[in-house]
Amino acid sequence: MTTKLFYDLFALAVFAVVIVVGVPFLMGFDGFELNTFARYLALGIVSLALALSWGSAGLLNLGQAATFGMGSYAMAMHLKLKASGDALPDFMGWNNVPELPLIWIPFHSLGFTLLAGLLVPAFVGGLIAMFMFRARIAGVFVAIITLAFLVAFQLVVIEQQGITGGQNGLTGLAPLSLLGWSVDTYDVSFYYLVAGCLMAAITVGLYLTHSKFGLILRAIREDADRTRFFGYNVANYQTVIFCISAALAGWAGMLYTLVLEFASPTYMSVSFSLAIVIWCAVGGRDSVIAAAIGAIIVNLLEGRLSDVFVEGWNLMLGVIFVLVVMFIPRGLHGLIGDLWKALNNQSHKQRANEAEPKLQPQPVKSGQEK
Amino acid sequence: MDVILNQIFAGLSMASILLMIALGLAIIYGAMGVINLAHGEFVMLGAYAAWALQTYAGFSIIVALPFVFLAVASVGWIIERVIVQRLYHRPLDTILATWGIGIVLQQLVRLFVGAESRFVKGPEILSGNIEIGGLIMSNYRIFVIVFSLAILAASWALMTRTEFGMKLRAVIQNRQISECYGIEAKHIYSITFAYGAGLAGIAGALITPLFSTIPTMGTGLVVDAFLVVIVGGLGSLLGAATASVLIGEATALFSMLLNDTLGRIAVLAGIIVLIRFRPKGLFPSNTRR
Repeated sequence: MTTKLFYDLFALAVFAVVIVVGVPFLMGFDGFELNTFARYLALGIVSLALALSWGSAGLLNLGQAATFGMGSYAMAMHLKLKASGDALPDFMGWNNVPELPLIWIPFHSLGFTLLAGLLVPAFVGGLIAMFMFRARIAGVFVAIITLAFLVAFQLVVIEQQGITGGQNGLTGLAPLSLLGWSVDTYDVSFYYLVAGCLMAAITVGLYLTHSKFGLILRAIREDADRTRFFGYNVANYQTVIFCISAALAGWAGMLYTLVLEFASPTYMSVSFSLAIVIWCAVGGRDSVIAAAIGAIIVNLLEGRLSDVFVEGWNLMLGVIFVLVVMFIPRGLHGLIGDLWKALNNQSHKQRANEAEPKLQPQPVKSGQEK
Repeated sequence: MDVILNQIFAGLSMASILLMIALGLAIIYGAMGVINLAHGEFVMLGAYAAWALQTYAGFSIIVALPFVFLAVASVGWIIERVIVQRLYHRPLDTILATWGIGIVLQQLVRLFVGAESRFVKGPEILSGNIEIGGLIMSNYRIFVIVFSLAILAASWALMTRTEFGMKLRAVIQNRQISECYGIEAKHIYSITFAYGAGLAGIAGALITPLFSTIPTMGTGLVVDAFLVVIVGGLGSLLGAATASVLIGEATALFSMLLNDTLGRIAVLAGIIVLIRFRPKGLFPSNTRR
């Protein structure tokens, strides 16, 4: 076991204890408070999904919110059908849709919904990735293409009112029932469901970053051409990580719909997508755990501070973000890493200083004696 | 026939607005490789400056333009000096930092001016329309088209016919060597950034009678302007002009054939495909980097 893996597993263990035991205890096992916290945990998953593509492979995906939205709509469609029973979902009546559109039909099944929430984003992400990376598009252009895709996708969702509910999104959803267990979002058990998902996602992320696959991704990030000369198919690696990142984002989207009990096209807005980037950057894009913590911290602060400074909060977020980008580009994770190194160096130096007098003769004193 | 002519005119009008916004962006991106996502907020600042000058000082938009230019340019200058200058060696991070700056500017306006939509009167002389057969052209839109061409010409002259432009081109080609010849690259960059911001401010002031002036007006514009710059090619003024006409006309055409939203989606899809096959844009500059 390498030191880095040990360090990451240790961090995961501490994080798990805090999330599973610490937070519910601090909140006094209050269902309402835990529901808000579950929201932050769901956002933690999408932030760590971005860390996988941005931190490991250096692909800044500004369209992460699109895949997040796909997951959240998949879940919302299932719950909407459940709420409507045999009747047509209410908004379709308002839009003069005569019968259930074809793509809605399979969402009666929960199994299909869960699969679709993961695979549809992965598939779409994979298509975009293949489209871009086969042509060796890199750097800023990846950001621009994914951004343009996001804008177009949000427009499509708003445009297709009859199928997606347009600007209003999908509201009035039924609670999810999972293997006979009816999920109450204001219950402690729901919090543990989301926390378990976050832990699973972090484990997947850690496994990926510590595998050979993760090593090759980092090589691609540092120098794509050189990795190509070693015989690796760079485009395939980039495509796979894009798919995985998209699937995780879809997963986060499904949980987010469960927490908030509606799906809205604002989940696919440019500002939401860049907010994900902010969380990931604040936490530290090099580590999946740090990225998730970044999302939790920023959202927690937002939840607490926006009550106090209603208008000022966004201003503070902007200032914090600019400062993070300027002075700690590797996020809190990088900051802690640097501090740790500095401390280690200092203690080494101290030890070295203590050792010094024994080793060296004292020529100055002997000079004075003469 | 009339419908088509009117759509062509609408496309041109949109192209002229895009051109004014994209021009500043193209200059900043071309000169320093900085993706300035705060550019939309510079446009918004320009619009609010025009509104403030009209409501508190009674200036018409055209009289206000030089003041707006100076005001927004100085905001840009300060931002360049304090923040952007430290990030030149990290181009991806400039995207993030300028987005953060954009959030800050937007919130400042919301805090001090308010979130409600502001109204600015167009100039009296330019009210009314010119009608040729079935083609109806608003005088103000014609003025904006002509003005955007004038700005394009002025920027081109600045880049190629002045000492400052020569220095800027030298710095773009090779910063170290230019510094050896005594050109202060830092100084040149600051002024260029300020000029780009000022152009955005002018664009913002001119679109106030056409768009509603709200704090979030810039966010949508910056994405469009960006696509214009990327399609046009890195740092190419002519490319930006061609791309804005292309995108403006394509949007107008698709909007006529399909509808507004689908038209925009079609244009975005077209742009994505274009970037994939010509990532350097339609008119890549020949300078080595």
